[in-house]
Amino acid sequence: MELEDIISKYPPRQIMLLPIAIIVLALISLSVTYLNTGSPVRLGIEFTGGTLVTVPQTGTEDTLRSQFEGYPLVDVRNIGSRYMLQFGPMSDSDYARLAKQVNEKYEGAEIKHMGPIYSKELQAQVIRYLPISFLLMAIVVFLVFREPIVSLLVVISAIADILTAAASMNLTGVQLSLGTVAALLMLIGYSVDTDILLSMRVLKRKGGVDEKIIGAMGTGLTMAGTTIAAVLSLIIVSNFLYFVIPSFSRMDVIADMSTVLIFGLAADVFNTWVTNAQGLRWYMNRPGKATRRQKK
Amino acid sequence: MSLLHDLSKDRRVVVYAAAVVLALIFIAVFGLKFGLDLEGGSYLQLQLQGAVAQVDVSPEKILEAQFHGTSVEKHGDSYFVTVQGKVDSTLADDLGYSGAKIVERDNTSKVTIIAAPETVITNYLKKSLDADVKIVGVAPVKYEIRTNVSRDSLNAILAPVGGSVPSGEDAFVEGVTADTVDETKKVLDSKLNRLGLQDIKVRIVDNKFILIDLAGMDVATAQDVVGKPGKFEIRIQTENNQTVHVLYGDAVESVDIPQGDRQGGWGVPFMLSEEGAKVFQKAAIDAGATKDPDAHYISMYLDKDEIFSAPLAAELAGSLAKSPVRNLEARVGSGDAGSQKAKELYIHLREGALPVNVEIVGSGQVSAALGKQFKVQMVIAGLIALLAVAGMIFYRYREKRVVLPMITTSLSEVVMMLGIWSLAGWQLDLASLAGIIMVIGTGVDQLVIITDELIRGGEASALERSIKERAAEAAAKAGTAIAPTSSKVYLGRLSRAFSIILGAAATTVVAMLPLLYMGFGALTGFALIIILGVFLGVAIARPAYGRIIGHILGTS
Repeated sequence: MELEDIISKYPPRQIMLLPIAIIVLALISLSVTYLNTGSPVRLGIEFTGGTLVTVPQTGTEDTLRSQFEGYPLVDVRNIGSRYMLQFGPMSDSDYARLAKQVNEKYEGAEIKHMGPIYSKELQAQVIRYLPISFLLMAIVVFLVFREPIVSLLVVISAIADILTAAASMNLTGVQLSLGTVAALLMLIGYSVDTDILLSMRVLKRKGGVDEKIIGAMGTGLTMAGTTIAAVLSLIIVSNFLYFVIPSFSRMDVIADMSTVLIFGLAADVFNTWVTNAQGLRWYMNRPGKATRRQKK
Repeated sequence: MSLLHDLSKDRRVVVYAAAVVLALIFIAVFGLKFGLDLEGGSYLQLQLQGAVAQVDVSPEKILEAQFHGTSVEKHGDSYFVTVQGKVDSTLADDLGYSGAKIVERDNTSKVTIIAAPETVITNYLKKSLDADVKIVGVAPVKYEIRTNVSRDSLNAILAPVGGSVPSGEDAFVEGVTADTVDETKKVLDSKLNRLGLQDIKVRIVDNKFILIDLAGMDVATAQDVVGKPGKFEIRIQTENNQTVHVLYGDAVESVDIPQGDRQGGWGVPFMLSEEGAKVFQKAAIDAGATKDPDAHYISMYLDKDEIFSAPLAAELAGSLAKSPVRNLEARVGSGDAGSQKAKELYIHLREGALPVNVEIVGSGQVSAALGKQFKVQMVIAGLIALLAVAGMIFYRYREKRVVLPMITTSLSEVVMMLGIWSLAGWQLDLASLAGIIMVIGTGVDQLVIITDELIRGGEASALERSIKERAAEAAAKAGTAIAPTSSKVYLGRLSRAFSIILGAAATTVVAMLPLLYMGFGALTGFALIIILGVFLGVAIARPAYGRIIGHILGTS
């Protein structure tokens, strides 16, 4: 296995350049977006305010556009057997009128309206809660290991996962929505699972560090495999199933959520078995430290 | 069956089996309820507007400005306002001071008002803001203003009477008190219930937002329903034991927050329009109620339901015999029961109007057909996920005696979650179904950790052999193994597996905690089902799995 070779062949310092480069690239992507739009990732409609309407496909896109001419129609998208219309912010009375009109014209319409308070409050919530979530996770990690360096390595790997996942959103054009925020939080909690496994195995078991890392990798990759398998099935069903079964349609929340998760999980495989593992190799093989460990 | 026999003695396995059976019973008895986005319907997200503020203002100055008086003196409980010229007899009533006395002498009038300073301030704020104001704190006195108001706008209102909001964060806090949020929820509950709507869920999020789910209704209709008042009527009992119509709700100009008196009695004060007061007086006289008040009940109805009925008060009968009375009070009784009744009547008197101004923050609808389709899609996603996960673990262990218990355990975790969900009567929405799939993905991870610890995946000495060989070998030995669960090595490995699992579970739970509060409850189901799944897994399913797989592998 190539990954196994990488783990033991090269000195940790050289390999660590790779994750550092990835983190730097992710930070660049996030800051470029920040400079352009005022936020590190592109904000979805839930954060900017507006109205989403999906209706069954009956006519062409043009007839649809003409039907809603009086409203701030931003975008029309084909999502399987339905069209999704995105409207910009509008007054309450306009919205009430729009809702009536949509229901009169179409059976089975889906409407989602986010007023200015909604989006403002949601932004405030994300800024408030994402760091809290991360902090709580870090505290748990420190409590589990009670070893500052080992815990720090786990937390750094988690930070790298989140940054990579966020940067991948910019890359793939996924906007920040309630679903993607949930995915990022999920990643905060989940991405440290394999790191905890790895660190526990290396700290608590007897034997050489490299062998323990490779042993943990068998378990860890299976774990990543099962989770990635679950997320992939969400991606397929929410995103692509409507190509196969035309009566199905895209499930936005699930689609966004699973896209972010898959990138985060991929980043997690890398960061656990390269970033964290190399960090542990360096830490465990330090002179003095290693001998003390071996005696235990 | 020695395996079953051994396992049936293990406490963890027994608890696990019982939990699964119980969950199945719960699901069968209570049934699964699906959320709005899977059943079809609409939702409204409302924000309660208001603020809790302290004010620095002198009641004397307020009264002086309100009555255009030349001087105001306070003696005991009363304020004496001196006014040049005549004072309109209804002015005091209009301003909210019932029972004020006006004495005219030599082109000056003297108005005597019995009121506490806080009452004067409350009345002033009510009148200026055209909203309810309630005293919610003592020392310092705080006023809850039940409409959209900012610190600046409140200062602007207080400026003409020389008042202001004191500086400091505490002196002006946006939002309303928990009691008020709760009251608003009750109004909505009772109103929607009276309309006979099924499956209505009114929830409070973050003490600031109220979420209403209305099944089987489009969003335009939902907005109408929530905004539409009920039909209120006052009737009076006539001589021959029948009732006649007196007034409809349009004659009730305002309703005050219930008040208790010194004897512990409770009542709801309300004010009739001038026209309404005349009609009410005429009806009371015509019915003969002014002469024999005890025999004449005044009854109130909301949408044909009687909500209040009591004889006309003797003192009111006396006043009505002389002139119309605008400020009335419906007395309901004393003590806690009285207070409770007063609160209910207050809600009804307002015809289902909300106690606080609300703003629609967000709203939406999902059609029933689309919801059904989402449900089917999610079930497909769940099945594909389960198959994919099973494929992954089979690829690694190549041993069905390992794969089957794993998948069974994972499935049983889902069953337990659904059991608790149906017992609690919670709704499964799209997000919580996604949560279940995530739990399948992460739950199996933890089973992998347990299995690998037990068969010593990754042990340095065993490195040459593949995990598949070892799993197969361990499984083959199972029949001949002796009571493996009592072995020390086994227990040591299991406890190490659990220290990893507990750490991993704890990080997932804490990361999900914020989601319980975020997004106006949209992701509460997602977070809750993941947290629940983690707890059930760690506490019930995984300990049992550890024992079962231990027996199967015959680790010794």
